[in-house]
Amino acid sequence: MDDLDLRIRAATYRLFVELGRAPTAIEVAGSGDLSEADVVSGWLRLHEQHALVLNPATAEIRMANPFSAVPTAYRVRADDRWWYANCAWDAFGICAALHVDGRIETSCHDCGEALTVEVRDECPDDESLLFHCLVPAARWWDDIVFT
Amino acid sequence: MNLFRSEEHIERWLGGREPGATVSVGMLSELAHAWWSDRLPPEWQPRARELNQAILDRLGLTGPFWQLA
Repeated sequence: MDDLDLRIRAATYRLFVELGRAPTAIEVAGSGDLSEADVVSGWLRLHEQHALVLNPATAEIRMANPFSAVPTAYRVRADDRWWYANCAWDAFGICAALHVDGRIETSCHDCGEALTVEVRDECPDDESLLFHCLVPAARWWDDIVFT
Repeated sequence: MNLFRSEEHIERWLGGREPGATVSVGMLSELAHAWWSDRLPPEWQPRARELNQAILDRLGLTGPFWQLA
């Protein structure tokens, strides 16, 4: 990963946190004296290296892990904002990335009962819940949206 | 990568499929903080697979299921 791609990635993440949503390529370009084409090319390289995930149809940000650019079943209240996480792991990851406490709102993936988890000092308040990962680690990136 | 109320709910959701791996939500939080806490600083560099594997190993997430590609 070269310096330009690291710069594009850093600007993308910084803007995601500042805006509370995925930035557009034009917004990232404007923050770093780059062209929109530079940013999209950089995003494509970063996507190939699993540093972020693009929407295949539009080359817009789909995931800047642990953040999701689209609504999901994992809503996180952290740093005075609502965020969407890509999965349960990423929901805790948003608190971790922001270095703040937070609240995760989701539902049991089986029965649909609402679940709320408060995260304080990196620990969940309800230890009874379980996390299940269906896909083995070696195949996580075969289809990251499904994983 | 989802949350469930209990083992019973996981088994019901699997419906006879081969299970993956189940960990406590406390372990998940520990894993997430080890994995994601370095993601935002501008000086971030990609982590080598070996370092990611070391995080899993340190938390006891070992065995074929947790072997990264």
